Amino acid sequence: MKPGRIVIVILLIWSLGPLAWQLYTSFCTDQALVMPFASHDQRWTLAHYQSVLTSNPPFTRYLFNSLFAGVLSTILTLLLAIPAGYCLSKLGKRSALVIKCLLIGCALFPYVLLFLALLEIARFLQLGNSLIALAIPYAALSQPLAVLLLASAFSDLPSELEDAARVEGLTILQRFRWILLPLISPAIASTAILVFLFSWNEYPIALTWISDSDKLTLPVAMARIAGSSIHSVPYGPYAAATVIGSIPLILLVMIFQKPIVSGLTTGAVKG
Amino acid sequence: MLMLLIPSLLFLIAVFALPLIRYGWLSFHADSVMTGLIAIPNQGANWQRFIHDSRYWQDLLQTLRFALVSVTAEVILGLAIALILNQPLRKRALIRSSSLIPWALPTTVMALGWRWIFNTPYGPVDRLVQSGLGHSLNALGEPSLAWITTVYADVWKTTPFVALILLAGLQTIPSDLYEAAKLEGAGPWICLRRITIPLLLPYLGLALMFRLAQAFGVFDLVQVMTGGGPASSTESIALYAYWNAMRFLDFGYSATIMIASFVILSSLIAIAWFVISMARKRSVGALAE
Repeated sequence: MKPGRIVIVILLIWSLGPLAWQLYTSFCTDQALVMPFASHDQRWTLAHYQSVLTSNPPFTRYLFNSLFAGVLSTILTLLLAIPAGYCLSKLGKRSALVIKCLLIGCALFPYVLLFLALLEIARFLQLGNSLIALAIPYAALSQPLAVLLLASAFSDLPSELEDAARVEGLTILQRFRWILLPLISPAIASTAILVFLFSWNEYPIALTWISDSDKLTLPVAMARIAGSSIHSVPYGPYAAATVIGSIPLILLVMIFQKPIVSGLTTGAVKG
Repeated sequence: MLMLLIPSLLFLIAVFALPLIRYGWLSFHADSVMTGLIAIPNQGANWQRFIHDSRYWQDLLQTLRFALVSVTAEVILGLAIALILNQPLRKRALIRSSSLIPWALPTTVMALGWRWIFNTPYGPVDRLVQSGLGHSLNALGEPSLAWITTVYADVWKTTPFVALILLAGLQTIPSDLYEAAKLEGAGPWICLRRITIPLLLPYLGLALMFRLAQAFGVFDLVQVMTGGGPASSTESIALYAYWNAMRFLDFGYSATIMIASFVILSSLIAIAWFVISMARKRSVGALAE
């Protein structure tokens, strides 16, 4: 085997091994988990999946909540970031640099440190326990990355294109609709998928803003299963929840790996 | 024209600037369950407590240890993987997706997964150790081991991601540089040191900065995987600030911790930035020679 091949195999085992273990756990009966080498009447079971899917609220509810918050945040982020990115690409070099540095600074900031003030804002404006309201901080936290990615896409377009359209008498909205947006659609796709992933996975804000058990997002619901005790985590149902919770994301990554990678790497190159 | 930037900037200010100002203000007030959650000025008492709070300084050291060890491992491993994968490969899409999956999954999802994998005595790691050494490892119960498991979980999640970024950097290096070096009789080691690393420095620097800043704010992973334990040995500063606000309901002190951590992080990043740009200048100089 070539060294490249071996590394790929190691990489695959490294990345997917722990997930495979969760998959295995999710189908094992409790006895089989405790004593894997003894012989059992019943080694495999679907009971964990049953308990996860029939609990109140059922686990699919959290998937739906995360999907809802994710889609909404993505739309809001794009609505804010597309005009901002366009504007940033048209600014003079100096002021664009200042704003870019500011954005990179914000992107570097570990936002978990903001949770307390955001919680106060949520209380003050009565935004707690609302999946719709969750889109506001998510869109705001996504701005640095989204604006930087979109601005770099806008500035890669030849300026003659827009000038010609302007000469033809197209208004700015028409130029956006018919020329600019179609041309930067790959960057929009990358941005959208990265923002969606961020919102889907976000934990500290969702944890502090939402307490109703049927409004929890997936990461918070997962953490709640753990409860407060370290010793009595129901690992079987939990593994089943991991598997169900991972499937949509794994599909998403497989389908959209190209825009994800291009978004991440443009982020790195232009940053 | 500038109008287009304003909504986005307003959101940014509301989420980044306002909280920091609020923390600065709160840090000079008592605002806890004792005061009925009303802010009362307390003449810097929070800061005095903060300076003598050995638990915070312990947590800061632990957070820095976590950040430095995991990021170093991620960058070295990521670079090695990127170098090997920087060859024409079939099944590139499969490799990409499988390395993106750990990064894309919610941290909390696998944090509990790790708890099961490192579980004593039923997890696979402990079983292996038991059959090898004959005694249990107790990875999550032992303060000297628990932090290593959190580092492992973080490295698992992020190394493939760092590798992808570095791979993108490697692909920007023109291959004729290597051919020219080969003609001059340079071996692979010299090529790595004189061509690859200097030209990759911007990417390495970026990956380092981002990962260090993120690791400094580690929260999800330790909150779910270890709860900061055993004996606070994996507690991070973000988690300590979280306990202060949500468990002890002491908002004033929690705000003090967060604004102080923000200042500490900013100065660390400034230092890191300075060191990286010096290294870049030196390597550019060496390249010119």
